[in-house]
Amino acid sequence: MTLPRSAQASSDAKARSTARRSLARDLRHLLLFALRRLVGLLFTVLVGVYLTIVIANMGGKVDELRLVQIRSDVSEMVRADPAFQDMPAEERNTLIARQVGLEVERLRLDEPFLLRSFDYLQRAMRLDLGRAEQMHSDSGSRQVYDLIVERLPATLLLFGSANLLVFFTSVFAALYLSRRYGGAVDRSIIALAPSSAAPGWFYGIFLILFFAFLVPLLPAGGMVSVPPPEGRLAYAASVLRHMLLPLAAMFLSSIFISIYSWRTFFLIHSSEDYVEMARAKGLPSKLIERRYILRPTLSPIITSFLLMLIGLWSGAIILEQVFNWPGLGSLLFQAIGHRDTPVIIGGVVIFAYLLAATVFFLDILYALLDPRVRIEGGKQ
Amino acid sequence: MADASLLRVDDLALHYQTRNGVVRAVDGVSFDIQRGEALVILGESGCGKSSLAKTLMRVLPRNVHHVGGRVTLDGVEISALPDERFRRDVQWSRMALVMQASMNALNPVVKVGAQVAEPLRVLRRWPRRRALERAAEVFALVGLSNDFMTRYPFELSGGMRQRAVLAMALVAEPDLVILDEPTSALDVLTQASIMNVLKRVKRELGTSFILITHDVATSSELADRVALMYAGELVEVCDARRFFSEPAHPYSRMLMASVPRLRQRERPQSIPGQPPSLLWPPAGCRFAARCPERFASCDHSPPALPLHERHRVRCWLHALDNASPVSDGPRSTGEEGTHDR
Repeated sequence: MTLPRSAQASSDAKARSTARRSLARDLRHLLLFALRRLVGLLFTVLVGVYLTIVIANMGGKVDELRLVQIRSDVSEMVRADPAFQDMPAEERNTLIARQVGLEVERLRLDEPFLLRSFDYLQRAMRLDLGRAEQMHSDSGSRQVYDLIVERLPATLLLFGSANLLVFFTSVFAALYLSRRYGGAVDRSIIALAPSSAAPGWFYGIFLILFFAFLVPLLPAGGMVSVPPPEGRLAYAASVLRHMLLPLAAMFLSSIFISIYSWRTFFLIHSSEDYVEMARAKGLPSKLIERRYILRPTLSPIITSFLLMLIGLWSGAIILEQVFNWPGLGSLLFQAIGHRDTPVIIGGVVIFAYLLAATVFFLDILYALLDPRVRIEGGKQ
Repeated sequence: MADASLLRVDDLALHYQTRNGVVRAVDGVSFDIQRGEALVILGESGCGKSSLAKTLMRVLPRNVHHVGGRVTLDGVEISALPDERFRRDVQWSRMALVMQASMNALNPVVKVGAQVAEPLRVLRRWPRRRALERAAEVFALVGLSNDFMTRYPFELSGGMRQRAVLAMALVAEPDLVILDEPTSALDVLTQASIMNVLKRVKRELGTSFILITHDVATSSELADRVALMYAGELVEVCDARRFFSEPAHPYSRMLMASVPRLRQRERPQSIPGQPPSLLWPPAGCRFAARCPERFASCDHSPPALPLHERHRVRCWLHALDNASPVSDGPRSTGEEGTHDR
């Protein structure tokens, strides 16, 4: 069974060189894979943003509306201006026509939409999102970029903490339940799963009713008390108090279904042949859980984690309205109400970039975690 | 007689709880294996072969209803050991299992060499280097190139994976390796080379084997002894040569007649009927419903009757008259079992 000594020494050196070669091979595959994914994703963002531009402008139809708007604005202005009051009608009309012409030239409405759409596209891709038509940020800026950046932290804070809480609670609870499959705790959690049929804002309404009005413990809405408290600590405490109810609403509405689905996931994967093999091998159950259940399923776990992050970028329109939370969801809601095209497009562009960045990150993680992706993916 | 056998199994039972009732997958199985011996457990699908293997290794499903019987390894009653001791002292280091569907028995995200070395690293706390060196040795033993140590399972073909799992089973030099259908998913050539590896391991290392299969032809290559399983019971346990030449149980005879052979005039015979449900096994002999030689006594469950040395048959045909539960004794053939009580 033992090899001769010389053969052993040579096989030793050989093993070391194969290990080094396989590492180099893995790295090369990984780099190739990352590069290809990056190019693909940039193309996806490009297409997505362009489609948004075309759709939000209704394929150029919005320009006609804008032209009518400009005409009526200009003629209104000229008519209202006392300086042109006693001008002959013809002269006034040429003046109006000239003013309209200037405005059209400024907005380049005389060029075909197709040409301008590419101009919009390259500006959007450079994150030059332009000015809002109606809305302005709290600090008074009309730059779409400022509007979005101002709202992003509020959304991230609330949805980030809610989703992290739900994710980690449910994964660990699910692991625990999958160990105690069929037990009393398991069955009662499963029985509670349908409670997630109601959305977060629905629970929110009741939470506000109970904890803000019947027993006034917590604020009913907003992000911070008015006027904002002085000092960082006091400010943070106030934000925390305002966060509690929306957080609880989101947690309640998704925790049980999330535990349920993760538990089923772990149950399915703990009956894989290699898990059974690991049990037969006499490995301790902690190790089996870590190396044979969690490790091979890490890719789907991380996928769902990052998909959750993607959902988080956009906030939640109704929940933010119910709790009067100044996030991206309510910004988009207002923008749609005002038909403020640049804000809508800007929101989508930012979202597309964040989405692509998340997916890229996910791809790289996949490749690092799962040799099947890395090696097969680099081969093609 | 002092018990010289390596493994001794007495009255082993495994019952599952299902929605429809208790399934008696393994029901009173007894056999023994000498050191260096290969026992083939033959049986149709669903007769409880795999459950038998899992019971021996204590890899039990969640819905176990009852586990019973005594298992003795080298004079130590391992069935009485607490789980933790069994895991540390017996599993893999003394007894290893190559499971059915070992195509998927390798962790997809761990390199094959590391997986083969894993039992040594974890159970014996060997340093990484030493464990990997030992893994390289068993790789050579099962005929796998060392280059595959740093590969992932999906980069290996089915036959290579089977070899890798076999290497994993042999890595801790166990006394006994249980192989559950090790070749049934492979093509004939790969089957043959895996069987050759097994034969070599048996000859060179003196490892004992339990080979579980439904394939009579393949099993004959390795077998020293044969145990034929039917509906959760062993109906015949005997020497391999005797089993293949003059089987004693009617089921054994019919099974041998169903195997196609070269240069054989008559067509292979199939066995009419279905095995009984393990939910409600019949009260008498479990094979009675399909047996052409059934007679009155068959309404009573036959014990494992000794025929020769280490040869037992669960059939009333081989009972001495006074051992039969029915006074008029067994008739040789043809009678319908219409006995009523």
